[in-house]
Amino acid sequence: MEILEEIQDNISIYRLKGRLDSNTSQKLEEKLFQAISDGSKRMIVDFKDLNYISSDGIRVILIAAKAIKREEGQIMFCCMRDYVKEVFEIAGLGSLLPVVAAMDDALKVF
Amino acid sequence: MIDSGIEQLRSMKFMVAQEYKFELKNDLSELKALNQHLNNWAEDINLPAISISRINICLDELFTNIVSYGFEDDLEHIIKFTLNADDNLLTINIEDDGIPFNPLEKIDPDFPDNVKSAIIGGLGIHIIKKLMDNVHYERKLGNKLTMKKNIQDKGGRRDSN
Repeated sequence: MEILEEIQDNISIYRLKGRLDSNTSQKLEEKLFQAISDGSKRMIVDFKDLNYISSDGIRVILIAAKAIKREEGQIMFCCMRDYVKEVFEIAGLGSLLPVVAAMDDALKVF
Repeated sequence: MIDSGIEQLRSMKFMVAQEYKFELKNDLSELKALNQHLNNWAEDINLPAISISRINICLDELFTNIVSYGFEDDLEHIIKFTLNADDNLLTINIEDDGIPFNPLEKIDPDFPDNVKSAIIGGLGIHIIKKLMDNVHYERKLGNKLTMKKNIQDKGGRRDSN
């Protein structure tokens, strides 16, 4: 899985590409937690090019969201494909996590 | 006589189950191969992308649990998969020769008493139980996990939502 990073208006944007599973979730975990410990308080994770997520991927998303909240920061998730959204909903996280449809909706929050 | 023969052949198409078997080593790097095999089978039986993804997430989770917690030695073990499509019913078996271990009851060993982590650990299992119609574990000579999923309307539409 590729993770493309960019910073826009002091917001760290991570665009995921490929598959987020047991093999690749650690990479994302390290990236997000590094940013959080570096003091990043505004993050967006763009799922547009992610075509698969397993429960390990969801785990990472969940713990990252909890971690940034503890630091009084905010993370938004956007642009999920149907399958990915479905998995979040099955996991009961559809309404618990800040998921929005489009990047603009995510940017607006900040 | 020829007609009844053809009728018999036609009805046999739905009686003969299509089975796809493969083996993986107990190593998480095999997840890629797992996905590949699943895609091969899915192509054989014309399974739509959404079904493939749903089954993939279940197999991912189970395979990962078995690899992570099912063996107590450092040796290489083989985990056997049988994917079966019999008309509307998909049956998937995962067998291994590890310690008695039910991957549906995995508890994160790092945080057995931590409620928050228990919830995270159980997430994958919860997802499997939601996505599959039936999941069953048994222990005979080894561990055997069986999952079943009924996909609608094999003749026409198929699990298209």
